[in-house]
Amino acid sequence: MARIPALIVSHADLAGALVRAAASVYGPIEDVECLSNEGFSRPALESEIERRVSGWPHGGIVFIDFWGGSCFTCGVSAARGREVVVLTGINLPTLLDYLHNRDGYSVVELAERLRQKGQESFRLQRSPAA
Amino acid sequence: MSWVLHRIDDRLIHGQVVVAWGQRLNPQRIWVVDDASASGAWERELLSSSAPGIDVRVVTVTDAAREHAAEQSASGGAFLLVRDLGTALALVTAGARITAFNVGGLHYAPGKDKVHEFVYLDAADRAAARALLARGVALNVQDVPASRPVALETLDRSVLPESAEPAP
Repeated sequence: MARIPALIVSHADLAGALVRAAASVYGPIEDVECLSNEGFSRPALESEIERRVSGWPHGGIVFIDFWGGSCFTCGVSAARGREVVVLTGINLPTLLDYLHNRDGYSVVELAERLRQKGQESFRLQRSPAA
Repeated sequence: MSWVLHRIDDRLIHGQVVVAWGQRLNPQRIWVVDDASASGAWERELLSSSAPGIDVRVVTVTDAAREHAAEQSASGGAFLLVRDLGTALALVTAGARITAFNVGGLHYAPGKDKVHEFVYLDAADRAAARALLARGVALNVQDVPASRPVALETLDRSVLPESAEPAP
């Protein structure tokens, strides 16, 4: 199965920082692009995302930092009509799971797996009562 | 209560609006005044989905001007968003009684030059700003509530109406 490409779109430099953090755990990372929304108008950001995903012949995943921001609306608009899935709420566990599984799933199957992994990554550990 | 924010922002609904201003002012409705967005069902749905739990209304300038006064007396707070100064002027010209706009983001595009970190203007923007100021509409540059508002005319004196130009 072909490797599923990914683009991370975020506020400020979160996307790049996430990839650097993932590399410290996973090792060198290839085929993951990063894009910050800083300085972009909405049309310009949408065009920049569209330019990158248009090079994906078999689709891919656009990771977004959170639902509702400009990264989200532009990502959804750029993905329209393509085999591209938008997944919001990217965090380090989700990115690591993507890296370990991006060669073994279809785009939709992988996106669904990552959504579940992201949700499972939030855990609450309470200290025993004193 | 109703209108708690009138904002000019080329990103329309986005993080600063929903998270920063939204948490501070807790709007029940967001009116997106944009003829292009109002004309497309897909765009209306996208904008509506961007603000979970808030009633998003995507309307034309004409419709917004007609309903602006009625919204003023509605219960709960409301935001109004336009994407540029020209639309803000069109809305005021069409009859909406607005005394101030928050200028939240007018990003770089070819032909525009920088007057602030997140405000870039061209000749058409400046003409619209001048007309708004001449009508007594304040233009306050401020991206998020925690930032200090700055009057647009203090950043770019060319937007001052001619009658307000200081003597040389």
